[in-house]
Amino acid sequence: MSRAFGSVVAMAVLALAAGCSSEPRSPRHDKFEAIAKASKTVGDELKKDAPDLAVIKTNAQSVDASAKALPSWFPGSTGPEPGVKTDAKPEIWQKPAEFKAAADKFAAAAAALRAAADAGDVAAIRTAAAGLGPTCKGCHEQFRVD
Amino acid sequence: MATAPDAAPGEVEVRLWDGPVRLVHWGFVLLIPAMWASAEFGQMQAHRAMGYAALFLLLFRLYWGIAGSATARFASFVRGPGAILRYVRSGATVIGHNPLGALSVVALLALLGLQIGLGLIAQDTDGEFAGPLARLVSYETSRLAGDWHEAMFNLLLVLIALHVAAILFYLIVRRDNLVRPMLTGRKRVGTTVEQPQAGSAGHAIGGVVLSAAVTAWIAAGAPL
Repeated sequence: MSRAFGSVVAMAVLALAAGCSSEPRSPRHDKFEAIAKASKTVGDELKKDAPDLAVIKTNAQSVDASAKALPSWFPGSTGPEPGVKTDAKPEIWQKPAEFKAAADKFAAAAAALRAAADAGDVAAIRTAAAGLGPTCKGCHEQFRVD
Repeated sequence: MATAPDAAPGEVEVRLWDGPVRLVHWGFVLLIPAMWASAEFGQMQAHRAMGYAALFLLLFRLYWGIAGSATARFASFVRGPGAILRYVRSGATVIGHNPLGALSVVALLALLGLQIGLGLIAQDTDGEFAGPLARLVSYETSRLAGDWHEAMFNLLLVLIALHVAAILFYLIVRRDNLVRPMLTGRKRVGTTVEQPQAGSAGHAIGGVVLSAAVTAWIAAGAPL
């Protein structure tokens, strides 16, 4: 590979990398990602022949704690912070009652999952886990940029 | 078969594409836009079901590329750069995929394979829709696969556009209709050629069973 070609490739890669991280990402993003990871871990365990109840319990507790805290992740009363990359729609602040109702549904589903996980009842965990995803999706459809 | 009215004397009709090749080809023609639409409109159950159909078609086509009719076999049409250049310079009539067109076949199958593979391990952010193999990878990997799955479709569109442009070039410039043989399986050629060897029905049935079994196993999450 010629040196000139190598430099062009290197510049293209750098430009691409720069384009991906041009704006700071909202710290909220990582918290939501932690929820997604924890729910995936629970789901993956449930697909195994012998789910690890301790792993499920830890992750269910983490989702439950996040669900309780979630409304506080959207401070302010006007809209998303300017200059921060976010998929949060202004509707979150414009329709606080609807947003709270959606967050409450998620919190209820997360609490049910945690209760089932604490009890160590796989059938109940399965039912509760199946009820969790739709509450994520339901809120995202309304309040998150697709 | 009766001689077609526009068949000049000395022309022979070759059985160019067998049934399995044509079914796989038109299967993808129907599946690709339908799969795009299902993803675009959030019909993920349908998207997944069609993804399994696409996986089955791809597996069968790979098998048929080894065990199928002469014109379906990769060994009969995948050629090196030298053969491609010679073909481009000579423009000779080829029974089956020409060396240049072979690149298109390989690129399309490879990209479809990559696309299906990414779909199998992808999941959405809500964990509501996940490929059957998403459980085997981390959340980050699964989401990255989902992003690439979405982006890669544009590359597939580029390849399909090239494929269609080539067909139009052959139709308009070289007066060679490539679509009709892909529909009927038959093509009239002016030169005397041997009929390409046809694949056996037994091999076809074996390929269907094998591809269906592998698809079902993957759809079940690849249990070991």
